[in-house]
Amino acid sequence: MILKQTGTGLAAAVAAFLATFGAASAQDVKIGYSGALSGPASFTGLDIKRGAEMAIDEINAKGGVKGRKLVLVSRDDEHNPVRTVAQYRELVERERVVAMLGATNSASMLAVTPIVNETLKVPVICPATDATAITENDAAKAGQDNYLFRIGMYGTGQANFITDTMVKRFGHTKVALLNWTGGWGVTGRTELQRRLKEHGLTPVADETFDSNDTDMTPQIIKIRNAGAQSILNYALVRENTLVAQTKQKLGDDTPYASAWGIAGPAFWKAAGQAAEGILSSTTITIDGPQSPERLALIETYRKRYNQEMDAPTSVFGAYDSVYLYKLVMERDGVDPKAIRAGLESVPAFKGLIKDFQRPVFTKERHNAITEDDMIMTRWTNGKMLEIKYDDKGPYVDIDDKTKKYLDKKNLALM
Amino acid sequence: MTRATAPAGPRERAPAVTSSSPAAIPLRMYFFLQIALSGLATGAIYGLIAVGYSLTFMTTKALNFALGMWVMLGGMLTFSLTVQYGVPPLVALPLILILMLALGAVAERFSVAPFLRAGSDVWVMSTLAVGLLMIDFAEIIWGRSPTPVPSFFGNAPVRIGALSILPQQLFIIAIACVVFFALDLFYRRTLTGKAFRAVAHSGEVSALMGINTRRVQVASYAAAAAFAGLAGFMVVPLTLAEPQMGTVLGLKAFAIAIIAGLAAPRGILVCGLAYGALEALISGYLYTGIRDILGFSLMILALSLKPEGLFGRPVEERA
Repeated sequence: MILKQTGTGLAAAVAAFLATFGAASAQDVKIGYSGALSGPASFTGLDIKRGAEMAIDEINAKGGVKGRKLVLVSRDDEHNPVRTVAQYRELVERERVVAMLGATNSASMLAVTPIVNETLKVPVICPATDATAITENDAAKAGQDNYLFRIGMYGTGQANFITDTMVKRFGHTKVALLNWTGGWGVTGRTELQRRLKEHGLTPVADETFDSNDTDMTPQIIKIRNAGAQSILNYALVRENTLVAQTKQKLGDDTPYASAWGIAGPAFWKAAGQAAEGILSSTTITIDGPQSPERLALIETYRKRYNQEMDAPTSVFGAYDSVYLYKLVMERDGVDPKAIRAGLESVPAFKGLIKDFQRPVFTKERHNAITEDDMIMTRWTNGKMLEIKYDDKGPYVDIDDKTKKYLDKKNLALM
Repeated sequence: MTRATAPAGPRERAPAVTSSSPAAIPLRMYFFLQIALSGLATGAIYGLIAVGYSLTFMTTKALNFALGMWVMLGGMLTFSLTVQYGVPPLVALPLILILMLALGAVAERFSVAPFLRAGSDVWVMSTLAVGLLMIDFAEIIWGRSPTPVPSFFGNAPVRIGALSILPQQLFIIAIACVVFFALDLFYRRTLTGKAFRAVAHSGEVSALMGINTRRVQVASYAAAAAFAGLAGFMVVPLTLAEPQMGTVLGLKAFAIAIIAGLAAPRGILVCGLAYGALEALISGYLYTGIRDILGFSLMILALSLKPEGLFGRPVEERA
């Protein structure tokens, strides 16, 4: 009796053992991912994972990479750089992943960057982290092999883009800064100051606010009194909700342009109507008219995860990254070093974030999204609509048929 | 205060009041009044939390140091009830107050009473520890991302002449004034209130006079928690609900309680409002970056000039 039970248990264990190995056979090609799957940044972290999963399932359904199945091995780093570092080692050294998707936290990526370039030597494409130094790292500067790539916004480029949009596109020369005193706001502020200076401008007001502030009245009034034509900002949803509410309260219509911290549905959910007219730079918006390919992925996401995307930039960034890996692997094989080199020579790529009609990356440029590819969006009735330009000026497509021009002065719909 | 030094090159743009523009006021006056008004709302919150420090200090000469975290708890409960479960705010408020009263009493039982009995000052650490535990639990239960709680009165600003204020801010100022007025009546007119004051004056004598000092002490901690809960309920639409929302608020409220005098509940409202307005004016005329430096320096200055607080009376020890 006892023997029989032991026997069954043993059989079950063997079966489980086989199943584990069966799930990822030696023939499978593993892509690794370590990012925040729990905690406050998990909405980004989960969307990276989901974007990758959807791409991998599509690829596997069509026969994988030259007959080999793609497998995603993901880990929850809880937005904690210490865990990210440990998980990168584990994923590369034990799981033998051949390529990676970047984490959710710039600090995490900055921590793993030297290790990836010097020891692990596995290519990483980052969809969500924007610190400039992730891709423009020591290896890149020394002309060595740089394993870090990015398909998202990057610090310097984004600050340039925001500033240039307001200064050049809209002709605003009296520009005010209003930034968060938290980490991201501090670097953003410095970048914006630098870019304004490069335009020969000094901010007419340079204000800040703290995380726990409950009102922005003094800052907004001061900026208005300084005669600002537009306000540039780096902060997240919480602080910008207060800014939006305060602006609304004061009836202030000074154009307000923010970095991609508010480029997602969470901002409208928090700020509501007060967010109307606020600008956010980003890589992609899923509001307004969309290509059939994008609509298909949005629909797949909705059905599969039973919700709307929280961070479209992450979903599409991860999705495109996996397809980039597939393209390179089919051409150059699945050796991590070959994949890295291959990424630098993809002449064109039809991604969902962008149809790249030029090399996605080059040896010198590891940011797929350049300043020219970034888009400025305007929060319009709950939708983040891309601002486009023609001879008559800036406009947004409300839907397939309705086109609304913007007043350059206050960016109101005309 | 020097007049409008900071706004470089003020232009004559009337306050952007849309239709039905009320009587225009000079720009500089608008600047001052609008900033001060918004500061008053922040100050009212400080005052409401600060009164909690005063309540327990008066009865036990000890404090719940973590009142900011209790504000957070009130805010998170408001979020859960009104947003997650759709309970109307007017129903949610009494529920929150009752829960906070009960939790405040329980926390006193474990984190304050044992040390007071032993004549030790460990309550400083134990109340803080309770607060840190609350943050940890809140992070586990609600997560760390800030979640919006819609204002109970909508976001359409209320116009007062040329000035504008969010209905939620107006509500906060009004409630704070009502609370302080009621508290004043309570201390002066009711028997329980007089018992509080007696215990505040001398626990031992009060006990001899037949006052249940223990009950008064528990009640004061429960009430402090409830006031913090009320503050959380009112401020959460402005801060968004997240586990760190109360930390700085609690700290500033403490500064105000000290500046006013821990044994001077009346002065606390005045000081709270004044501190809030001053903070906003510093941001408006000088720079936000130095706001807290000036604020806390002022606290130290006030303390060194008048250790019992601006509104406190020196304790006269009669032999």
